[in-house]
Order: sequence, then C-alpha cells, then structure tokens
Amino acid sequence: MAVAGALLVLTFLTVAVTWIQIPEPFNVIVAVGIAAIKASLVALFFMNLVRDSLLNRLAFVLSFLFLAIFVVITLLDTLFRDSGFPVF
Amino acid sequence: MSTSNHHTDDHLQHHFKDEDQQFESSKLGMWIFLVTEMLMFGGLFVAYIIYRAWHPDLFYLAAQELDAGLGALNTVVLIASSLTIALAIRSLQLDEFKKSIQYLSATLVLAATFLVIKYIEYTDKFAKGILPGGHYSYEGISHEMAANFFSIYYLMTGLHGIHVLLGMGLIGWMIIKVRKRSVHSRYFTPVENTGLFWHLVDIIWIFLFPLLYLID
Repeated sequence: MAVAGALLVLTFLTVAVTWIQIPEPFNVIVAVGIAAIKASLVALFFMNLVRDSLLNRLAFVLSFLFLAIFVVITLLDTLFRDSGFPVF
Repeated sequence: MSTSNHHTDDHLQHHFKDEDQQFESSKLGMWIFLVTEMLMFGGLFVAYIIYRAWHPDLFYLAAQELDAGLGALNTVVLIASSLTIALAIRSLQLDEFKKSIQYLSATLVLAATFLVIKYIEYTDKFAKGILPGGHYSYEGISHEMAANFFSIYYLMTGLHGIHVLLGMGLIGWMIIKVRKRSVHSRYFTPVENTGLFWHLVDIIWIFLFPLLYLID
C-alpha cells in the first residue's frame, strides 16, 4: 500500500517537473531518474526481488547491464557519423 | 513439504526433487523470459535514443501532440493494477480464494481501462492523420522527420499494448485456475509468474510515459 502511494506521488512528480523549466539535458536525466526509482520500487516490492534468490536478482540487474552495452555501442556509431553520412 | 500430502503431489512434476525446487526453477525461467522481453523493448528504446539524439527539436514538437493528461491517467491505472495483482497473490497465499478472484478481476478491469484510454488516444491521432510510417498525413508539425517520431511512438506503445492484452489473457486464465482451486497456498507458481509479467508491463510503461509524453 505504502509502495503504491509512493508510486503515485512519484507519478505526480514526473508530471510536475515538466511545469518548472529544467535546462537540457537535466530534464531528461530527472525524468528517467524518477522513472528508474519507480521501476525499482515495483521490482523490489511488487515483484518481491527484495526477498528473492540471488540468481533472480542477478538476472534482472544483468538485463540492465546488457541494455546499457546495447545503447552505448550503438551510440558510438550513430553519434559520430560525418555530416556526409545520411541520418534518417 | 511433505510428499505424503495428496494436495501437493498432484502438481509436482517427476523431474523435480521437491516443490521448492520446482517453484524456484519456474520462477528463474520467468525472470529469464522477462530479461528477453526487456531486451526486445530495448531495441525500440535504442531507436528512440538515437532519434532523439539526432532530432531533439522534433521530439519536443511532436510530444506536444500527445495528451499528457491521458498518459498520466494510464500510469495511475497501471500502478493501481500492479497493486491489485500483488494483493491477489497475497490473498491466494493465505487461501482467501474469493478475495483473490476479486483482486484479479479488479486487475482485469484496470487493464481494460488502460486499453480503452489508449484506444481514445489512438483514434484521436488517426483522425488527425497521425499514422505510422508512410501513412502519415498530419500537417500540424513543421518538421520533415515528424512521421518518424510517431512510427517510434506507435511501435513502442503498440508492442506495450499487445503485452497488456497478453497479460489480460493470463490474468483471465488465473481467475479460472483460482475458481477451480487448482492454485492455492501450497502451489501458486502460475499466479506468481503472471504477476511478474504484469509488473514488467507496468515498469515498461513507467519509462514510456515520461519519454514519450513529457518532453519539455
């Protein structure tokens, strides 16, 4: 119950931070940061990872690691393309 | 767990040593499936990140077309449904079958509410000519790449919507299982795994909402 309450407050906060102007790129960082806190609350308490086996916790954490590798390696290509190379 | 109990024997598969091992194996399998799900959505998130890095102005303009109010409402709906399915599992663990069915039904209703709101959003966009890919015909956004934002939007929310539909199917199946009493305090693995799937659907939406609707 308390977790659900915290999630609702954070949802409101997600919307509220768009009312105050936060300069680039911190607005994205704040938005994704709040989303990450909410996702952690869901994973830890609703999905009960807080009391789950080490293996299950590891699987979940590793998925974010592989996602990060996926993002970083792709960006290494797309962020450094020459102007002559087509972007879509 | 005692193997002499006839209630526990009917669901223990012969290749597992005992119930705990069966439960843990099933749950680990579910977690690995959820990891593959995250990586599938990960591909779309990577597409999103690349496009936003290339065209930050487009994402700002296009997000103004999305209804943040409806998006926020859907976030609240999904969080509430995550709570109700967690309560359904809790009730089942206490053998409170009636309460469990009520909570599962509430989850089903909330999931349907989510899809109805999504339907309202989609039809509103379709009416304006905001369609994915080559069918895009909306003139309201002065950016040559506008169709690409909405292709990403429809792919991400569409794939998420399919997961909501799948989740509803699973929850409906679990209601039947609880009604038949084939799940109970000593064996609730299917309901537990359905819950895990449903929470992942919630987590993905938690990221989609600020990334698509709230770009300032």
